[in-house]
Amino acid sequence: MIGTVFLAAGLALLLLGGVGLLRFRGPYERLQAAGVGDIGGAFLFLVGLILRLGWPATGGILVALIGFFLFTGPLSTHAIAKAAFVRGERPSED
Amino acid sequence: MRTAVLVALICTAIPPLGRLWAGPTLWDRLTGAASLNVRITLALAAEAAFAGYGILLDVALAYAVLGFLGTVLVARFAERGQR
Repeated sequence: MIGTVFLAAGLALLLLGGVGLLRFRGPYERLQAAGVGDIGGAFLFLVGLILRLGWPATGGILVALIGFFLFTGPLSTHAIAKAAFVRGERPSED
Repeated sequence: MRTAVLVALICTAIPPLGRLWAGPTLWDRLTGAASLNVRITLALAAEAAFAGYGILLDVALAYAVLGFLGTVLVARFAERGQR
């Protein structure tokens, strides 16, 4: 039951991140929306999977996947943002 | 439940696909690709967990690693310019 709630929350957060990725104005804004939505959505979704299907079936690798997402999400966001800034893309003023 | 989750994940994968298709800059396309990688990994994990097909979990983990490496490699390559 609570696993379903977590799954739905993760899917909603992924969808909201996607909408932000589609609707925001500049590259940095889209990067922020996608980064936050992806990490939060993936975390909630995987926690929901663990809660719904039980620990012995899928637990260890899903926890490893959660840790991997929490670790590499900010890293890839930072890599893209730094590359954009070095190549002369500037944030919009207003 | 399994079909519903997969269909919902595919629906959430449409906006990154659109941004990958028509991002004005390279950075938008990279963001869309990274976002799409996350959704594909989650779809693999969900399919593995719901179908009880455990080896797909390892595939999902390997896909996550390779997707992250690809994103960082393309970002670092584009940071140095076209040479």
